[in-house]
Amino acid sequence: MNEVLGIIIAAIICWFNFVLIDTWMGLPENPGVKGAEVIGRAVKKRGGSLAGGFFQGNIVCSPDASAGTLLASVGSYAIGIPEGGLIAATLVYFGNRLCADPGYAGTTGALSITLIIYLTSMVGMKPEFYIVGMVLAIITIQGLAHPTASRLLGKLAQKMGRHTKMT
Amino acid sequence: MIVHVNVLSYLLALGLAVILGLALRLPLLPERPMRYSWSISVIFPTAILSLGFYAMLVQLGYQGLMVAASTGVITALFCKFLLEKLVPRPEDS
Repeated sequence: MNEVLGIIIAAIICWFNFVLIDTWMGLPENPGVKGAEVIGRAVKKRGGSLAGGFFQGNIVCSPDASAGTLLASVGSYAIGIPEGGLIAATLVYFGNRLCADPGYAGTTGALSITLIIYLTSMVGMKPEFYIVGMVLAIITIQGLAHPTASRLLGKLAQKMGRHTKMT
Repeated sequence: MIVHVNVLSYLLALGLAVILGLALRLPLLPERPMRYSWSISVIFPTAILSLGFYAMLVQLGYQGLMVAASTGVITALFCKFLLEKLVPRPEDS
């Protein structure tokens, strides 16, 4: 498969993988640690959504599905499928627990992207596409415009019934 | 891409971890809402850790049914007796 096309497809898949899993696991509902709350309120102060801000804060403060997706892609590239993804899921779980997070989002993200990498490898997608794709996906959430991204995340949280009740 | 695994070994590690976890009276699933639960249960994280630990051993050059069986047993014991002490839940959880 053409590399550029593969990276674009991988970026889209990675974006949906980590955003949907993190939202489903309740990242927009509560800040897991104090740092996530500070980030969420700062994003809201700049015109963003509080729920989206909590989401952004939580993925900064502990390895959630975003880190799981990236690490499982790196593991699959460096070690192979499925060992790389399974080892990444295990390490992400311990990383989560060390960061005051029960670990569901990170572990689920790592396992789901490992399955996706395996399935899409049959049509020529390589694990390295997912590494670059995940970096691009996370840039759209954390690297371009926090308030705009947080509003999108807030709307998604609303639709999935995971919007914060905090004010 | 070729999947180079012995599926049976993974299933054995997983199965033994689940059976021994249930025998050790770990809950099958965390209590609801699961996404906020800190409980150590059979499905999460025991089953997942058994797969991860066996994958690590495979990469270190140890594989086979005996290694898989040992991994399943040790993972269940680890989750029951050691995990909570090694990575405890936060005091305010």
